[in-house]
Amino acid sequence: MTGAPLEGVRVLELTDESAEYCGRLLAGLGADVVKAEPPEGAPSRHVGPFVDDEPGPDRSLAFWADNVGKRSAVVADDDTVRALAGAADVLVHTLRPAEAADRGLDAPTLQRRAPALVLCAVTPFGQDGPWADYLADDLVLMALGGSMAACGYGPGPDGAYDTPPLACHGEQAWRTAATYAAIAVLGALAWRRESGAGQCIDVSAHECSASMTEWHLMTYLCSGTVHRRGPHPTLTAADGRQVAALNPDFLGPHVFAGMLAMLEERGVAGPLSDPAFADPVHRAQHYREVWRALKRLAETADGETLYRLGQGAGLPWGVIRSPEEVLDDRHLRARGHFVALEHPELGRAVTYPGAPFVAHASPWVMARRPPLLGEHTDEVLAQWLGTGGR
Amino acid sequence: MALDGLRILDFTRLGFGAQATLICGCLGAEVIRVESTRFPDAIRVMPPFVPEPGERGEAFGAATLANATGATSANRGGIFYKYNTGGKKSITVDARHPEGLALLKELVARSDVVAESFAAGTMARWGLSYDVMAAIRPDLVYVSMCGFGHEGPDTAHVTMGPTAQALTGLTFMVGMPGRPPAGWSFSYLDHVGGYLGAVAILAGVVHRRRTGQGQHIDVSQLEPATALSGALLLDAAVNGRPSRRPGFPMGNRRLHPPAAPSGAYPAAGDDRWVVISCRTEEHWCNLVRALGDPPWAAEARFATLEDRVRNADALDAELSAWTRRHDRYEAMALLQGAGVPAGAVQDAADRLERDPQLQARGHYCALGNAEVAPLPLEGVPFRMSATAPHTGGRLRRGPPCLGEDTDAVLRDVLGKGEDAIAALRAAGALS
Repeated sequence: MTGAPLEGVRVLELTDESAEYCGRLLAGLGADVVKAEPPEGAPSRHVGPFVDDEPGPDRSLAFWADNVGKRSAVVADDDTVRALAGAADVLVHTLRPAEAADRGLDAPTLQRRAPALVLCAVTPFGQDGPWADYLADDLVLMALGGSMAACGYGPGPDGAYDTPPLACHGEQAWRTAATYAAIAVLGALAWRRESGAGQCIDVSAHECSASMTEWHLMTYLCSGTVHRRGPHPTLTAADGRQVAALNPDFLGPHVFAGMLAMLEERGVAGPLSDPAFADPVHRAQHYREVWRALKRLAETADGETLYRLGQGAGLPWGVIRSPEEVLDDRHLRARGHFVALEHPELGRAVTYPGAPFVAHASPWVMARRPPLLGEHTDEVLAQWLGTGGR
Repeated sequence: MALDGLRILDFTRLGFGAQATLICGCLGAEVIRVESTRFPDAIRVMPPFVPEPGERGEAFGAATLANATGATSANRGGIFYKYNTGGKKSITVDARHPEGLALLKELVARSDVVAESFAAGTMARWGLSYDVMAAIRPDLVYVSMCGFGHEGPDTAHVTMGPTAQALTGLTFMVGMPGRPPAGWSFSYLDHVGGYLGAVAILAGVVHRRRTGQGQHIDVSQLEPATALSGALLLDAAVNGRPSRRPGFPMGNRRLHPPAAPSGAYPAAGDDRWVVISCRTEEHWCNLVRALGDPPWAAEARFATLEDRVRNADALDAELSAWTRRHDRYEAMALLQGAGVPAGAVQDAADRLERDPQLQARGHYCALGNAEVAPLPLEGVPFRMSATAPHTGGRLRRGPPCLGEDTDAVLRDVLGKGEDAIAALRAAGALS
């Protein structure tokens, strides 16, 4: 037996771009994920950016990002989709209830053929409720879920906001929903091993997105106040780079002790060396002095150095990197995180983010580049349906 | 429930680790939190505090060591409630006490999973390294969750959510052209890291059921985040187009797929906003009709999607003049009714009090404990038809008071009698 947890598990994926990340995670765990695509290809194949900015179904980087490790079968008719679902262990789809029923891909129809099927529907609002038929992309979900209200620049000196709430790039609401879908599928598969039975999973992207704002609901419940958006404390280093400079004083007296030692060593502690600052109440009342000392420190170092100075003092600091700058992180490189996959038809290798965790006995599977459109149609039909292809 | 019969010995704390075991608890696992009375989880003793009935607590922004040490109870810390539903039990054991350590080893022998989120090496220093635990329980699934993981040159680095967000590009990706990054004002990666921690636990359990093999799975707070930048990372790696370039990130606008109008538009009221996002010709036509066919919408500069993207500033100005006259929820209902993707920008209070969808789905789950009356806590965001998850876990319970299950767990899991428990307590092993 090989090491992958989902070795031998067949996943049929019938999704738009909102939930493709689910299949990527399941493929990483070793599942055989087959993407059933219409002849023109999945919608994400037509979303840019493209390799060398030349559009084409096999050149979309948006598609590549979420389809590593899958196989692609072009399936033009729903009879074949149903047959593939009957041969699968898991179906992940993004069909609204009405569309699923119209196409004969609804749960009762599919489960009659395959009672052990795990059927996972990922939709913006879930299968029911007053908004079930509403339209939403990632931006709408980030708004309704609460992330946007809490992200953006702070108010001006007059207390008024002159910039809107902001959503993060990278489709985070979709990714959160797709991740929850993978979790639910794993739970269902664990139970199926014991019971032999399948079931239906109903993932509401809105609910996923509405439960990821950490302490914000609790602050409202506890204090009646609503958190308003504004950045975390950030220092600007001598080279202009920014460093997230958290000072979690609440974790204990060691936090300030470590910071003070570092500031004194760099000769910028100033009034913080006054023993009065050992008292947390005094520190809280004179926090401006603490921040001034940190700003003096920031003037002495570039961003990368400042990050490591803070970490050396035990502080959870991090230099703010763009996505591509993460590729150079020595720690992630040492952990073998990034993986180059050959794209032979393009004559080049492409570096992808790899395993989300290190599992020595069941390593993350990262061997197959994203599939060309229809690349595996014949072999999938032969393997899953026993037909000789078309 | 999906994870019936699975026992997780849970040494996690703060948000990142606890999110992982929370999900497993909601799926039916028995989660036993191992805690300390002397060093309680910081989120048990820091604001916001759940107030006494009729009182008003403090906001999170007031969290300092000064008021953390002034906490009157370890059972009122609000953030603890967010991360410790799932029917988690709480026991207090002093791992540095010889009899406490022996007790933990007995619990390891009877657990399927050990999860923890201490700094690398902490549990090994207590005498609970993976090797020690695997000798006790060879098929143990041990999932460690610490900022940089247990292997690599920077394992000594510490993270909180915003640290990991800065280092992995998440902070950078929230911002407007010509300004420094704005980032997130909360620990998004405590959630995402926790989700992948749950994936790690589940994958480890499935792997063990297939092969009988246990293992150590090393989860960091960085690796779960690198795929979140999606095509931006690949655009740099493949096309040499870095995200750190003038005009990027683009606020709420996106280059791919092209969309206009698309963004947050000011609604009636103070700092109220409604998001509208038109990617297709159909969305645009529906929008124009919903707005009552205003003359500006028929101008040549807005004729095609390409035109609208090119003239997005002018388009946004026209549309904003309309949105300003409408309540954000009215605008959302009107536009959605016409087939336009739109949504109010909701804050935490809105989600709880004004969101009919979350209400109809029964998202919030009222849970309390011995000290706190039931609070509407955020629930499990998915349904399962055969093994329904529950926010209160298998016990349908609220977050545990510190140590409230110590005696019951020692009795039911380890078969300890009252006298043995009393002796352990007298010896100081249960603090």
